[in-house]
Amino acid sequence: MTDSKTLAYINMYAVLGTLENLCELDENARALLKNKKPVSIGLEVKDGPAATLMFKNGYCRMEDGCRSDCTIKIPFSSCEKFNGMIDGTVTPVPTKGLMHIGFLLKSFIPLTDLLSKYMRPDPKDLEDRAFFEMSTTLMFYTIAVAIAQIGNNDAIGKFSADHIVDGDILMSIGDKISATIRCKNHRLITIKKDMGTPRSLMKFCDMDLARALFDGKVNAVACIGEGTIIMGGMISMIDNVNRILDRVALYLA
Amino acid sequence: MAIKINDYTKSREWFSRATKVIPSGVYGHLGPAEGNFMPVTSFPLMGDRAQGTYFWDVDGNRFIDYMCAYGPNVLGYNDPDVDAAAIEQLKKGNCMTSPSYKMVEFAELMVDTVNCADWAFFAKNGNDVTTAAIMTARNATHRKKIVFVNGFYHGVSPWTQKIDYPGVIPEDVANNLYIDWNDFDQLQQVFDDNKGEIAAFISTPYMHGNYLDNSLPADGYWKKVRELCTANGTVLIIDDVRAGFRLDIAGSDHFYGFEADLICFCKALANGYNVSCLCGKDFLKGAVSGLSYTGSYWMSAMPFAAGIACVNKMKQLDIPTMFREKGLKLTNGLKEAAANNGFNLVVSGEPALFYLRIADDDSLFIHQDWIQECVKRGVFFAGHHNHFINAALTDEDINFTLEVADEAFKAIRPKY
Repeated sequence: MTDSKTLAYINMYAVLGTLENLCELDENARALLKNKKPVSIGLEVKDGPAATLMFKNGYCRMEDGCRSDCTIKIPFSSCEKFNGMIDGTVTPVPTKGLMHIGFLLKSFIPLTDLLSKYMRPDPKDLEDRAFFEMSTTLMFYTIAVAIAQIGNNDAIGKFSADHIVDGDILMSIGDKISATIRCKNHRLITIKKDMGTPRSLMKFCDMDLARALFDGKVNAVACIGEGTIIMGGMISMIDNVNRILDRVALYLA
Repeated sequence: MAIKINDYTKSREWFSRATKVIPSGVYGHLGPAEGNFMPVTSFPLMGDRAQGTYFWDVDGNRFIDYMCAYGPNVLGYNDPDVDAAAIEQLKKGNCMTSPSYKMVEFAELMVDTVNCADWAFFAKNGNDVTTAAIMTARNATHRKKIVFVNGFYHGVSPWTQKIDYPGVIPEDVANNLYIDWNDFDQLQQVFDDNKGEIAAFISTPYMHGNYLDNSLPADGYWKKVRELCTANGTVLIIDDVRAGFRLDIAGSDHFYGFEADLICFCKALANGYNVSCLCGKDFLKGAVSGLSYTGSYWMSAMPFAAGIACVNKMKQLDIPTMFREKGLKLTNGLKEAAANNGFNLVVSGEPALFYLRIADDDSLFIHQDWIQECVKRGVFFAGHHNHFINAALTDEDINFTLEVADEAFKAIRPKY
């Protein structure tokens, strides 16, 4: 009940897009980019997503679309091939920027490995509180972006998005970590911060609760009763986002 | 003098115990998630007892109950006439190998009472009879497709749910078609596009869906729908589970001037005793007879006895007229209280099942804030569901409600 095109959009914007947050929040990630010239990697998937990852001064930013002036360009002939790169079964072949292959090997791949370490953590690593919080934060951003991609691309997700009215849905862990899912004409976009005027909100009380939810150890309905998830505003928006959220696990499992 | 603010310590304790042994503590519409308890700390979670128009929670807080157990409380909790009939029958026999003759008496009463009814088929919950109606329509027409009105709620079986609901697979809803409420042209188009394939059109008598202002049928809407269904050999099903008897003792189709082929009743049918009823026209009697569809408790006699007493008393009291008057008195007062405090309270739907929304923002945050301030003071309103009037509601109760509403508006005014 999943499709490779939706998965490609999730892998592009939700998974690789989380490199932005990784570089911002993790010193080890920034160290991998230290003293490096600015590099941009254009990723273009036939019949699928296209984006450019730009690395500069230790930070990363993702821009929609494959920029013509990107330093390195990696095209993919299908969504399946691109998804294969993400799960490690397909080796990417750049068509531009071969002289920057060193960046790919020495910076980009270690960065994605670091991201994987947080996204698919060893249970032992989670015993370290700092690691736990970093991992949970990055998962939060990944999930928030994945919601928009599923709402825009997955057949059942689109059904849910068709029932969401225009406006901003604020998702947050406590008061510190926030993302806004903006709906306009049933298309969703995730902005990785609180935009200030939500029409509805869903707040996870703390990191531990958020983690337990992400890991499927607790159920959102039960948490609402216990008061560890707070919702408010236009509840039909939250209701439909939750239906999409149910599908996130199918794709990110 | 300020009205007492409720404390829910014991409610929380019981809920905590519940979460250990019951999925999500309280699941479904009575639970804090589906019930939209925002914030959950302002609402009672476990009840202790009920009488008339009130219920008391485990902390001893009393509530004027405008949800009426989501509809079943129509005469007042513990109505003496209904309870006496039920208890008498319980002593005689309830769940037996041969069904009690009370079932026949109840069916005769339903046929005499409900305008479109030539027969009555009993079950337990609203979902049982909406499902029976769909199966009957498919059996009678040998067609698959069903037309629904967007925003519908017809129960919890997979066919009533949507493709994105947990536990529902695409095949469960593959034959469901959707139109907007009151849009006859859309319905006509769907019929044209699916000529000879539509088994049934199912709808509530007016749009009393959740999360949106309720909407009455446009002039001539039901007449045109009736004609379209007849011309196409499609069964017209009215889901009167929620509104049934509160608008018209003869059925809400009668109230709006048309005749359904099948009509589903539950909530108000027996004042809280568990029975539901599908009524229909003679030409569908064979089709419903052929269904393989039953349940262990569907022919229990006690709810039949309660139902007979309840229907007779609803007739005697002229419940529809009473509820309209009480509903108007209450909602006009609420609108006035809102206006006096600078808020715009929109009341929609029929007065007997009024729906409330504060329209001063487009997010409903103000509305939710006001609702919880009312609940904390002992008036149980729901955030995003229609409400229900019951016969035990007095003028004194309405006046107290208006007092609470005013104080709740004053409590939230500084924030907005």
